[in-house]
Amino acid sequence: MTRPPVLGVDGAVKHYDGGGVVRALDGVSFELHAGELLGIMGPSGSGKSTLLLIAGLLEPPTAGEVRIGGQRVSWPGADLDGLREVRRRRIGFVFQKPNLIPFLNATENVALALEIDDVPPGPARRHAGGLLRALGLAHRASSLPARLSGGEQQRVAVARALANDPPLILADEPTAALDSVRGRQVIALFRRIADERGAGIAVVTHDPRALDLFDRTIELSDGKLVGASTGIGGLVLQRGLSEGDVERR
Amino acid sequence: MDARQPRRSGRGDWIVNLALRDIRFNAVRFLLTMAGVGLLVTAAIGMVGLYRGIIADALLIVRDIGADLWVVQGGRAGPFAEGSAVSATLDRRVEGVEGVAAVRRFVQFNQQFEAGGRSLRATVTGIDHPADDGGWLRLAQGRGLSAGHFEAVADESVGLAIDDVVRLGADDHRVVGLTRGMVDQMGDGLLFVTINDAQAIARRRTAEEVLLARAAGNRSGAATTSSVPQDSKIAAVLVALDSAADPAAVVAAIRRWGDVAVLSRDDQVDLLLNKRLWRLRVQILAFTSVLLAVMTIVVSLIVHTMTLEKLHQIALLKLIGARNGVVVSMIGQQAMLIGSGGFLAGVGIAHLVFPLFPRRVEMTVADLAALFATVLAIAGIAALFGISRAMRVHAREVLS
Ligand SMILES: Nc1ncnc2c1ncn2[C@@H]1O[C@H](COP(=O)(O)OP(=O)(O)OP(=O)(O)O)[C@@H](O)[C@H]1O
Ligand SMILES: [Mg+2]
Repeated sequence: MTRPPVLGVDGAVKHYDGGGVVRALDGVSFELHAGELLGIMGPSGSGKSTLLLIAGLLEPPTAGEVRIGGQRVSWPGADLDGLREVRRRRIGFVFQKPNLIPFLNATENVALALEIDDVPPGPARRHAGGLLRALGLAHRASSLPARLSGGEQQRVAVARALANDPPLILADEPTAALDSVRGRQVIALFRRIADERGAGIAVVTHDPRALDLFDRTIELSDGKLVGASTGIGGLVLQRGLSEGDVERR
Repeated sequence: MDARQPRRSGRGDWIVNLALRDIRFNAVRFLLTMAGVGLLVTAAIGMVGLYRGIIADALLIVRDIGADLWVVQGGRAGPFAEGSAVSATLDRRVEGVEGVAAVRRFVQFNQQFEAGGRSLRATVTGIDHPADDGGWLRLAQGRGLSAGHFEAVADESVGLAIDDVVRLGADDHRVVGLTRGMVDQMGDGLLFVTINDAQAIARRRTAEEVLLARAAGNRSGAATTSSVPQDSKIAAVLVALDSAADPAAVVAAIRRWGDVAVLSRDDQVDLLLNKRLWRLRVQILAFTSVLLAVMTIVVSLIVHTMTLEKLHQIALLKLIGARNGVVVSMIGQQAMLIGSGGFLAGVGIAHLVFPLFPRRVEMTVADLAALFATVLAIAGIAALFGISRAMRVHAREVLS
């Protein structure tokens, strides 16, 4: 018996009301497995961020459902505020902006994710220090965010996402603010985390240069899944969707 | 990379103190904010203290002089709320009343005079020496009156020093003692002389006023607001009762004469607080409430602004799954720190500044405690508003 996927999104629909209904997501389904690094691509406005918000339990879907570790956690009308513990322990978030707390240093920013989960400060800081060291930031451990470069801040944000050792990591354009070298480093970091920790990682990205590091990518357009590809060791194969999907469009 | 996930403590609600870290990070701003709140608190302490000071000053003589009854001019509520003049020999009549243990004569009037080239102002108060040993004076320096004539004990606020000689009426008086904090209801410092001297000073003044009035063609004689408008009159006779006496019987006996009025100490206190000072008290209390309203609004705005500035971080905390308690304690603690820090700053400034003020600003522990509770309540209410705003923040707002 295989383990359930880390993340399962089933027929996710999201409509926004804003002077006419915006169909941000229009029936998207996908699964993410442990140790897998998934790229989510698509033009601007295609619904990538919306998909991540729904998968990350920050927005309820208008229709469809979200499963985490095989457990149904979000559906239309679900109480997302009550899912904080799931977010705290099972999901790590990384965004385009690092969103660090400006008055806490790097170690404390990372340790915060543990301390809000009742880990005493001593062990939390030690663990945070270890993570920062692993991400090459040992020398920046006690710097405030304002003293860090954009790439360093983003790595601190990654360390914070990793702090609780979550099985699922969701990242929305984590490299958009970085140059291509730094951007690739961050994706490589996710690759390592997926390999070494067995986390399932979904990354929204526009950047085609690091695509070789992904296990596979899915592509959105107008809120629908329009393509998927499997990358194997730098070779990217494009393949169409199933006939049913194509028919629906 | 393979560092093991540390254990949860299970019970711990221990968390890095976000409120304090933020304060440390923005220390200058926080200190300025606290100083601002502190100045408001200082102003509130000042208003309340002024109120207390005015009451304390007004009641000082009535309380300190230790008379059970005041026998004053008939039909008058003297000598503080209204003028009063009674015969200088009334004390002997009162002394004969059953139940009266001791009597003293009392006279008090304002006087301007020159001393050492300066124009000074004091409220001359007659002490019935030697019947009254003046033991109730709050002496800070020197001694009380010991000679029957030409000595004076002045309050520090008058501006005289020991051994200064002041000409009052037709005679020179030597300052032998200084009191501290003894002023009349208008804040003028008291200047104590024996009752005979006081009468002489008043007589001389009356005579001058009569001459002046005649010179001005006013045939009706002296016009004066002093409690001693005529020669050889005093303002009141103070009565100490026998411990066994029935006060009501003594009052009734004196009242039966028909030409005098009798007031108890409580009557005097009531007259001063609820008649003479009524408008002033209401005025100050009204100002105090305006000030507290301003303080409420300002502190609320400060706490609210602080919350608004942190909405992004609050959204982040929610995003990474922090419980509401983390957010609530961050906002609540900061509000309380601003409140209590501001209060301490306010008390500090008040202690530095108010002693330099011309009138007494009385800071009682009870008032300060009440003000502290008020400030904390204001901060608490402001924090509740901030918290309710913070609770409406969605985690996804991190992304906007
Ligand atoms: N809160 C919202 N209210 C109304 N419409 C929204 C909201 N959020 C997103 N949308 C709309 O939903 C659609 C999908 O938005 P989404 O942010 O998911 O796109 P995206 O693929 O992440 O784009 P980008 O690459 O520019 O980040 C867009 O048309 C957007 O305008
Ligand atoms: Mg987006």
